[in-house]
Amino acid sequence: MNDKWTDRLSEYVDGELPAEERTALEAHLTTCADCRAILEELRKVVARGRALDDRGPKADLWPGVAKRIGAGKVVDIRSRRFSFNVPQLIAASIALVVVSGGGMWLALHGSAPETRTPVANVGQTVIQNVRGVETSRTDAAIADLQDALTRNESRLDTATVRVVRENLALIDRAISQARLALDADPGNAYLNLHLADTMRRKLELLRRVNAIATAQS
Amino acid sequence: MLTIFAAAVLASLAPMQGESDTTIAVPAGASLTVNNFGGAIVVHAWNQNRVKVHAEHGSRGRIEVSLLGNTVTVKASSRMGAPSVVDFEITVPQNMALNLSGTYTEIQVDGVKGPISAETVDGSIEVSGGSGIITLHSIQGSVTLADATGRIEVNSVNESVELSNVSGQIKAETTNGDVSLMGIKSASVEATTINGDVVYEGTITDGGTYTFNSHNGDITVSVQEGANVTISVATANGDIDASFPLPLTRTDRGHRYTFKLGTGSARMEAESFQGDIQLRRPSEMQMQHKDKDKDRNHEEN
Amino acid sequence: MADAEAVDTALAASGDASAFERLYRTHVNRVHSLVRRMLDADEADDLTQDVFVRAWQKLSTFRGESAFGTWLHRLAVNVVLARRKTLGVERGRFQAGEDPLEHVSARRVTPEISMDFEEALSNLPDGARQVFVLHDVEGYRHEEIARMLGVVPGTSKSQLHHARMALRRYLDR
Repeated sequence: MNDKWTDRLSEYVDGELPAEERTALEAHLTTCADCRAILEELRKVVARGRALDDRGPKADLWPGVAKRIGAGKVVDIRSRRFSFNVPQLIAASIALVVVSGGGMWLALHGSAPETRTPVANVGQTVIQNVRGVETSRTDAAIADLQDALTRNESRLDTATVRVVRENLALIDRAISQARLALDADPGNAYLNLHLADTMRRKLELLRRVNAIATAQS
Repeated sequence: MLTIFAAAVLASLAPMQGESDTTIAVPAGASLTVNNFGGAIVVHAWNQNRVKVHAEHGSRGRIEVSLLGNTVTVKASSRMGAPSVVDFEITVPQNMALNLSGTYTEIQVDGVKGPISAETVDGSIEVSGGSGIITLHSIQGSVTLADATGRIEVNSVNESVELSNVSGQIKAETTNGDVSLMGIKSASVEATTINGDVVYEGTITDGGTYTFNSHNGDITVSVQEGANVTISVATANGDIDASFPLPLTRTDRGHRYTFKLGTGSARMEAESFQGDIQLRRPSEMQMQHKDKDKDRNHEEN
Repeated sequence: MADAEAVDTALAASGDASAFERLYRTHVNRVHSLVRRMLDADEADDLTQDVFVRAWQKLSTFRGESAFGTWLHRLAVNVVLARRKTLGVERGRFQAGEDPLEHVSARRVTPEISMDFEEALSNLPDGARQVFVLHDVEGYRHEEIARMLGVVPGTSKSQLHHARMALRRYLDR
């Protein structure tokens, strides 16, 4: 039998009754067997709803999907803003190396996909060696030029000196950011090149400024 | 016809405050060298075979204009040894090659059709015109080049570099500023900065090479419909965003992705350490550029 | 497992169809069930395909802030709701005093109890069914459901109650 409380029972089951009404309903439940029975059934319906298992389609629907997304030929992503969050991909690619085991390869310049080299071995060592040689040579050149600049600085006016120092500091910050990233990901071809390029920029700036300073005689 | 080509002609101008003017005839194919420690060097062009030098200077200023063989040399010096400030306004034959340098010097050139080399430390460089080998360097000032063609190298350190309507081989670089290349026709472009954005609006021709690099800034490149280009993008911290389909052909472990459009003939590299890489259609670039101008005008008001 | 899914999501977002197939295999049952329960069995196959095609198209917008399954699921709900609009489906609310499940005559008792429950579910009036599936099966809250279906939360609550009341007779079948 339905009474005025019957319609509120679902809300009660979901904990959505305001405090006052909940107290009143609970008082009513102590006296109304019908409501108690319905409440119990409602709870079971909710539980059954939550427990419904997921049956899939009888047929395999993938071929239909594949056809519509154009899988199997050169991937043609439909006209849209194609944008992906690189940190997400970076995390993914690091995971890829771990998950796929020997299936991953490090693309060095010119090496083809067929020559699969386990990432942890040859590829990485080569990159590290290249980096080592290149940066130590550049470091030496930079140090020389910095000395020269300090000697010649007095020939430049203070404003120029300030601007040059600020820009050298800017490049230094870029270099240390690149170094940090490279330490976290040593075999990374892009980061290696970027670090080398940035150091070369510093070198060029120092050379240029030294040339100007010595020409001011 | 003036026959002073073989001899050195020295014109020493009166060391008084104010202006001085001198005009000398020059042979075809002559070049101009101007060295001005402080002040301005402004160069215009005309179709006469003469060089006119107008100078404004203080009382200590001394102007020297000489012609030796094929070279006209304009020099500002000071009687007392300490450098002085002179503002030059020089009119030259259209095809004259220019060599302009200074320290606290602002350089402006327009209407010329020959090669240009301009170098300053603290001063901006604005060139409109020019062909052949064009080299513009400043440390503290911005560098702007328009309507030029040839083998072009422009750089600044502390300010932006802007090229518009330029064709040929292009290298544009700065450290603390943006590099903006608009209306470019080239098969060889290199644009680099550390702390600034790179914007490229121009053709991507078959077989060309295009390199865009920044450390901190965004890279925005236009790619016309039907371009045949292999695009390699890399960024350590930024987003990659294209307004057209990008068939991914290769992912290098961490950071670098390669896409191939059409035959993939041209090679493009767009790399920024911290910034975003944006690939757009030319029509979108023009709107973006217009908006930027609007903003600039609005700010100036 | 979650990491492998993040990898596949990233790969699929950059155009790797094999990775997307793996995602499909993992989630198709749940998506199909959702679609079937909210619409009907006849349309479920087509609409499930629609959901995955749309997911492929929109994958580039998935930022990885929630689990892929959650994102996919929400996308599926949206596809279903859009489909309902297109079909001009009547909300078919319960009228007081009527029991729309009366016509479901005594069925053969099958070992699969949930089978009959689902059958009963599919025979509910449309609006009540949507709310029940979204709330009790899929776990959305009334405020969200109201927004999705274009009703006020009060309507969502009462429809849920009617659905539950009608379904309780099919618990033990």
